[in-house]
Amino acid sequence: MAQKWIYRLDELRSEHNDLVGKKCANLGEMVHMGMRVPPGFAISVDGYERFMSETGAGDEIRKYVEEAGESLRKVEKQVEAGRVIRNIIESKDMPEAMKAELYGFYDELCETVGKPDVAVATRSSGAVSMPGQMETYLNVKGKREVVRKVIRVWSSAFTTRAIAFRLEKGMDMAKAPIGVAVLKMVSARCAGVTLTVQPTTGDLSKVVVEGNWGLGESVVSGEITPDSFVIDKETKEVVSSTISQKLRMVVFRKDGIAMVSVPKELQGKPCLEEKELQEIVRIALKVESYFDMPQDMEWVIDDDMSFPENLFWVQTRPAKFSKKKEDDSEYLAELMTRIFKM
Amino acid sequence: MKVYDVVPGLEFDPERDFELSPAWFLDGTHSVPPWTPMFGWFWVSFCRHGMQWGAEKLSLPTVKGWDWRFMNGGGYLTLLLVKSEEEKQRREKKFREAILPFIKDYDGLWNGFVQEILGRYEALKQLDLDTAENIDLLANFEETICTCRRMWEIHMYMMYGTYTAYILFENMCRELAGIDDTNPTFHQLVSGFDNKVFQVDKRLWEFSQRAREDGLEKVFLEGEVDGIKARLETVDQGRSFMKDFSAFMNEDGWRMQRMSEINLPTWVEDPTPALVNVKQFLQKGGDFNLEAERAKITEARLEAEKAVLEKVPREMRGWFEQLMRLAQKSGVFSEEHDHYLDLYTHAMIRRIVLGMGKRWKQEGAIDDPEDMFYLQPDEVRRAGINPDQFDMRYIVERRRAEWEEWCKHPNPPALLKEGFDLDQAMGVLVKSNDPIASKVVVGSMPQVRPELKADLYGTCGSPGVAEGPARVIMNEDELSLIQEGDILVAASTSPSWTPIFSMIKGVIVDRGASLSHAAIVGREYGIPVVMNVFEGTTKIRSGQKVKVDANMGTVYILDK
Repeated sequence: MAQKWIYRLDELRSEHNDLVGKKCANLGEMVHMGMRVPPGFAISVDGYERFMSETGAGDEIRKYVEEAGESLRKVEKQVEAGRVIRNIIESKDMPEAMKAELYGFYDELCETVGKPDVAVATRSSGAVSMPGQMETYLNVKGKREVVRKVIRVWSSAFTTRAIAFRLEKGMDMAKAPIGVAVLKMVSARCAGVTLTVQPTTGDLSKVVVEGNWGLGESVVSGEITPDSFVIDKETKEVVSSTISQKLRMVVFRKDGIAMVSVPKELQGKPCLEEKELQEIVRIALKVESYFDMPQDMEWVIDDDMSFPENLFWVQTRPAKFSKKKEDDSEYLAELMTRIFKM
Repeated sequence: MKVYDVVPGLEFDPERDFELSPAWFLDGTHSVPPWTPMFGWFWVSFCRHGMQWGAEKLSLPTVKGWDWRFMNGGGYLTLLLVKSEEEKQRREKKFREAILPFIKDYDGLWNGFVQEILGRYEALKQLDLDTAENIDLLANFEETICTCRRMWEIHMYMMYGTYTAYILFENMCRELAGIDDTNPTFHQLVSGFDNKVFQVDKRLWEFSQRAREDGLEKVFLEGEVDGIKARLETVDQGRSFMKDFSAFMNEDGWRMQRMSEINLPTWVEDPTPALVNVKQFLQKGGDFNLEAERAKITEARLEAEKAVLEKVPREMRGWFEQLMRLAQKSGVFSEEHDHYLDLYTHAMIRRIVLGMGKRWKQEGAIDDPEDMFYLQPDEVRRAGINPDQFDMRYIVERRRAEWEEWCKHPNPPALLKEGFDLDQAMGVLVKSNDPIASKVVVGSMPQVRPELKADLYGTCGSPGVAEGPARVIMNEDELSLIQEGDILVAASTSPSWTPIFSMIKGVIVDRGASLSHAAIVGREYGIPVVMNVFEGTTKIRSGQKVKVDANMGTVYILDK
């Protein structure tokens, strides 16, 4: 089986959802829109299937499920099945040929970033909606660890809830249409959101940028008051800027994230430089015109790199609300258009 | 001997059709049991046309309607997805314009179409089938084909536009009020409306009142249901009752017992099913009042509206309320379109097909008028003007034999290309964002909650809890078995089943979504409906005591 199972993000577009899952396909599409995304690569659904068939894990799972038979209807048994199946998967070593290929991609990533054993995040990328939280592993360093965590992401498709769902649907238990995204960990100096419409007034002539030190979670969750900039789309001038006292921020810890205090000297300082702000606006307007629709976007500024390579985007989607315009009909028509984008 | 296609050009061809799409789904709601060749031709040819026409007129951004194939009496469908990002964006621009008439003047749009299609039916009915020349019969048949084609255009254009509004409303309710269309409060928001189908029910109920006042109760309640009409004709009061009842049938009885087939009589031809409805209303006793029921549901809706509007930020209430009014029309549309479009058109097809069949029998082309159901229109054209010159029996015999075989072997639920599984296929359906696929065909997947220890898990189609004996109904003929207080268990329900909803306490259906028939009617009658349980008709037996908890989406079999 010589079929390709790892892809560079720029090889992917949104129509590759079935191949690599939604997250990876979206990242590929963003690359094509001129948005810089954290460097990395995508492991396709075929990679998962190849692993399952070459290691024999697929057959073992099928056999186990067959033997368990009707007893799997009981919830206790489903909990046990989850444990057994995850053990089967995690006990397998990745076949040498696959491993070599994955190492190759990881080495190339290290080269791109210019750092040996670069820290990455491995995230699941589901092709269809399945219940149950699949795992994400942050701060993964070194190729052996990457291989281990990719296998862990695959095995995480077998939570109790996912097993119950598959049984109910009569789906093959040994199958899971999931891909894996392996992306460089962005060491976030600051992060935030950008809206190409003013959410409070529905004003489509302005871009709003909000940001805080550290990871974007604090801005998205609304727990702190971020810096806020309003920029005129036509003149690119900053119409208003509010620099807040930013007391708390979110940072990476060894196993996950944590809210910490912002160093005193940074609390009253704007988190973005003017040129960074302008770059954010430039890309945001480009993406808005690509979709012909106001966007709600998330960005991160990487501390390891220099401008403009340090601006990464992690998300773009249609902006959810804007205030009613003069004509509700036109506005409803626009909202209806958006439901086809979900 | 050459074997002709039933739906030429649209017979399922594994070699070519799997190239077009790896997954084809059986339309179980409409083509189980299998269609006769004549009906299959009409449906596959024009439902297919209508869906693509509607999707194109509206310029739906992600889907270009559905493609259909015919196989052994089954209709198989697949979605035509918009392939490139550029095309999606082009279509989006047009869609924003094309959807406006729905938002700006929904009633004007729908009523205009109703007038247009009723005009066509009136013209078709002008022809006296018994005295017409062959040439006029054929012309009427051709005109019926055009009417069917036009019906499907209106049908799918309206359906796509209406359901898009409904889905947006559901999304907004989820965003702003935290409820979706599996939530009882959501259902209160979209029920408590009058529509044509309920008006027909009300007329039937009024006839039951009149039967009681006229002392005809015994005629209805004693003896076989098949004999009601004959027994009525034996007494003065009954004759006068039947005269008015026939007038009512001529107006509103243009409906098939099975919505998507023409081989069963319409109410106009045989009013027995309608008289059974009258009988069932009589059995319910005098205290039943449809309007009082409706008033209660309307009141509940107004309260739900108020509660939900309070959760919506003030500056959004304007458009939110406009959207709500629009979404509320989708339930009405769902029922009314069955009456004005599908049922009526199919009754027109049956009318002319049997009219020609009678003539053909007289002139020797076939043995029985119903043999026509085994022909397709090109064959009808062959002998249409001079049926005395053609012997069509050899085709009828072969096709009838084939159809009988189809009836013995159920069609598979999906045709999948080798190496493609149902899971992937469902993924394609979901990804299409097709409003009809998601609200009528696929629905929400039930959430299995083992802690509830239910026997079946489904989704809420209409809120409430009820307990009673199960009555498994597999086809229309069995409807008269329904007793007051039963819980109906079926694969799905059809508009001509509506009157029995006043007798039953709850509904369990194997498949369906929040805009399918059982859900809408259940909401209007205020009885719980659990849908998408997949195995209701196989796991439950008539007579077993069952409990339906639609709020939780669960079904319990109480005596196993």
